[in-house]
Amino acid sequence: MTPRTLFTTTLPRAQNHPALAWVTAAFGGGVLLHADRLPFWCVLVVLTLIAWRLAGELQWLPTPARSLRALLTVTLVFGVVGSFRTLNGLAAGTALLAVMGAAKLLEARTRRDYLIVIGTALFLLLAACLDRQALLRVPLYGAQVWLSCTALALAANADAPAFGARRALSLAGRTLLLALPLAVALFLFFPRIAGGFWALPPGGAALTGLSDEMSPGSIAELTENDAPAFRTWFLGATPPPEERYWRGPVLNDFDGYTWRQSRASFTLQTPLEYLGPGYRYRIALEPHSHPWWFALEMVRGAPDARAQFQFDYQLSSAPVAETVTYEAVSYPRTRAAGTLSVLGRRVATRLPPGRNPRARAFAERLRASSISDAVFVQAVLGHFRTGGFEYTLTPPRTDFDFVDDFLFTTRRGFCGHYASAFVALMRAGGVPARVVTGYLGAEWNPVGRYFIVRQSDAHAWAEVWLEGRGWTRIDPTAVVSPERLSRGILDLLPDAVSAPARLVHALPWLATLRFRWDAANTWWQQHVVGFDLRSQLALLGVLGFARADLQQLVAVLAAVTLGWLAWILWETRRTARVPRRDALARAWLGCCAALAPIAARRAHEGPLAYAGRIARARPGLGAELHDLAAAYARLRFGRDADEAAIRDFVRRAARFRRTRRFQTGRS
Amino acid sequence: MDARIARALTTLEHIVLGKPGQLRLALACLLARGHLLIEDVPGVGKTTLAHALAQVLGLAWQRVQFTSDLLPADILGVPVFDRSTQQFHFRKGPVFTQLLLADEVNRASPRTQSALLEAMEERQVSSDVTTYRLPEPFFVVATQNPHEQLGTYPLPESQLDRFLMCIELGYPEPIHERELLRSGERREYLPQIAPAMDAGAVLDLQRAVRGVYVSEPLLDYVQALIARSRSHPDIVLGLSPRAGQGLVRAAQAWATLGGREAVLPEDVQAVFLAVATHRLTRRSDDTAPDDRLARELLEAVAVPV
Repeated sequence: MTPRTLFTTTLPRAQNHPALAWVTAAFGGGVLLHADRLPFWCVLVVLTLIAWRLAGELQWLPTPARSLRALLTVTLVFGVVGSFRTLNGLAAGTALLAVMGAAKLLEARTRRDYLIVIGTALFLLLAACLDRQALLRVPLYGAQVWLSCTALALAANADAPAFGARRALSLAGRTLLLALPLAVALFLFFPRIAGGFWALPPGGAALTGLSDEMSPGSIAELTENDAPAFRTWFLGATPPPEERYWRGPVLNDFDGYTWRQSRASFTLQTPLEYLGPGYRYRIALEPHSHPWWFALEMVRGAPDARAQFQFDYQLSSAPVAETVTYEAVSYPRTRAAGTLSVLGRRVATRLPPGRNPRARAFAERLRASSISDAVFVQAVLGHFRTGGFEYTLTPPRTDFDFVDDFLFTTRRGFCGHYASAFVALMRAGGVPARVVTGYLGAEWNPVGRYFIVRQSDAHAWAEVWLEGRGWTRIDPTAVVSPERLSRGILDLLPDAVSAPARLVHALPWLATLRFRWDAANTWWQQHVVGFDLRSQLALLGVLGFARADLQQLVAVLAAVTLGWLAWILWETRRTARVPRRDALARAWLGCCAALAPIAARRAHEGPLAYAGRIARARPGLGAELHDLAAAYARLRFGRDADEAAIRDFVRRAARFRRTRRFQTGRS
Repeated sequence: MDARIARALTTLEHIVLGKPGQLRLALACLLARGHLLIEDVPGVGKTTLAHALAQVLGLAWQRVQFTSDLLPADILGVPVFDRSTQQFHFRKGPVFTQLLLADEVNRASPRTQSALLEAMEERQVSSDVTTYRLPEPFFVVATQNPHEQLGTYPLPESQLDRFLMCIELGYPEPIHERELLRSGERREYLPQIAPAMDAGAVLDLQRAVRGVYVSEPLLDYVQALIARSRSHPDIVLGLSPRAGQGLVRAAQAWATLGGREAVLPEDVQAVFLAVATHRLTRRSDDTAPDDRLARELLEAVAVPV
């Protein structure tokens, strides 16, 4: 079969051959990987076109005419442009690929058409890999690649008799296994250059976790959510539970009800003096789309260039759209190494005029009777402790003058209520104070040997400026409910958390299972998805390259790849040398191979026809070759070929091949 | 090659100029005990070919011009009452010959056509209770003009299947055309030529054809061709088992013509277009059947090695 007919051969109808069914399945699988992200109409179009193709195959519907197909193509392109306002980017590209692939499937008749559809399915898989890399999807991707390769094998071998789905599955499986070492090599050594086309920003990851503002009750909403916020590995000592305050957004602006991050924050940072021993740890932060990182209180500067250390000791970054990993050092005990700037003091004592009058009066009265700021802080905490306050996740609704209502009427609240009211009272008493949000606590995963900090660990506390000590953490919630420090929300208020979390809590084996899954997932994220250039160079270091760099990486990649390909080539040559054909066929095919430089034998060409074609090209070879071909034809298709005759032919063929080689060498 | 065959071919080529391939196919068809359909426009030498075949092979021949009012009895024969013996006596029709030229077979009514085709298949004619065997060898060369539509009854697939081969003669090459123009009517040469063989020799050769060896790999190849024709998406009906048998027989005859004792894939390929083309109907039947489908089948099936 010539290459031209190889591709233009019309494949058998679906009733007679499984190729179409498998190609359709492979393409459908590729679209399915995106089904939840594609616009609904795209999925509908794909399903309709697939159904149309199958109906056409069963002759229920006519195959659309060329003009209709052209119209369909143009309509679909405009549809995608209309949906996305662009053809650029992963989402629009995927949608275009899906609908165009379906349109191609509709008109697929020849082998080339089928190959294009399978190629589309593989491209959809590639897009899915760029889009999402969760561990849960890995088996899906594996199945899809196998499915596509099976379809490929069937389309390629549609003419071969008895090449069914089972053989195609096994062939595809074996081929993929052969490719696996190559894939591993490419994964390990293909240079991960940052900013490559594969580093596409995932569009529209949901905003999760803490936000940049806090209203009463907003943190309570998070306790239902036991999704991990980040995971952390302590490199060395582990801080005790009461020191596991993970600082996040610092809120400076108050409107009487809601706290917000300061919009105009040009205040100077008061330098810190770090005291006592510190903790080294690594954090793998889940994407939350907000522009900040979390760190244990109090982090010693920005961990790396991707984050900035703000005036309020918050780590700000670009919006976290994918898992980021960073290493930081924190010191639980610090002291201000300077004074609070005038602007800083103004920002930290601002209150909305005319709001919460009772609370202001109360604070001013209390401050007047305290000899220092520190005593005033203790007095307010004392009020929280003895004033009949209750810690609950289901506080009553409060008035717009939230602090008044909470302090003097409802007296029931959650960490956000206490932090908010406490900071408002401090500011009313003239003490610089601010609300800090973040997480308190961490869950130990004994399987992966790391801590998980979940959204349900969200917490809010206060920081006040005390002369001589600087910014000091005060957690008013701890005064009302001291257990919150050492125990999770779950122990404290079991009704407040989600049902699955309670179930996990009640069944230890389920908890172990969840830890295992989380550990596997984390390992996957850390070591597979997060395998970057730095990890590659580190790997080279382990392999013994003293000063690993990009060039060495490329060299190792080339060496491994070529080595593997050479091995496969050698192995196939070795096995091909003992084919299942008999000696006669081998001898004849050997002659054909020797003649291939003049003209290659076509699969549908008989021995005499081939010899005739060669003789026309090289009249000098004619007589000898014709005798040889006739002898072969007689032995292959004639009556009773005996062993001696075959052996004789094999010898003749070998001689012919030698002289043939000699002639090529001479000419 | 058998000397008789060589002589026959040489003589035929002398009468029908520039058509050696078609002559070989026609001869192979006869040696394979098959009937031949020649599809072409008038005046390209169909009748001359049939006449020449009969003359060269030393066979008795008859010619019937098919028309729309031709009746089965006009071909097969009719019982007539004999006054002297007071009995019905079957008067044999023109079909009782060794080579019958059925000219423009598609002009006759389907009833007449099927009467002839039945006789071709059964090689006998029944009248009342008596069955009359046709002479041996018996060979029908039918012609039809595919481009004529008005007042014709195209042969249905089932009838086409009874012709082992269908060939086209086509216009002659310019050099042969010139020769034709110069020398005048080719038929005039016919009485002059000496037969290369006789009916006995033809039967002899037909028996030899059946003895040509067909190996297992070759049968694999033929089966692959047939299977491919049945699974091809553009083909309405694949090759029938009768077509398969005919293909093998025609290939045997071709091997005989080439002087070989066993059939090669090349022999199958040589006769494949003539055997298969008229039996394959394209699904989107917008054009007259051409040999593209058959060629595609040949190219798609690998020769066993």
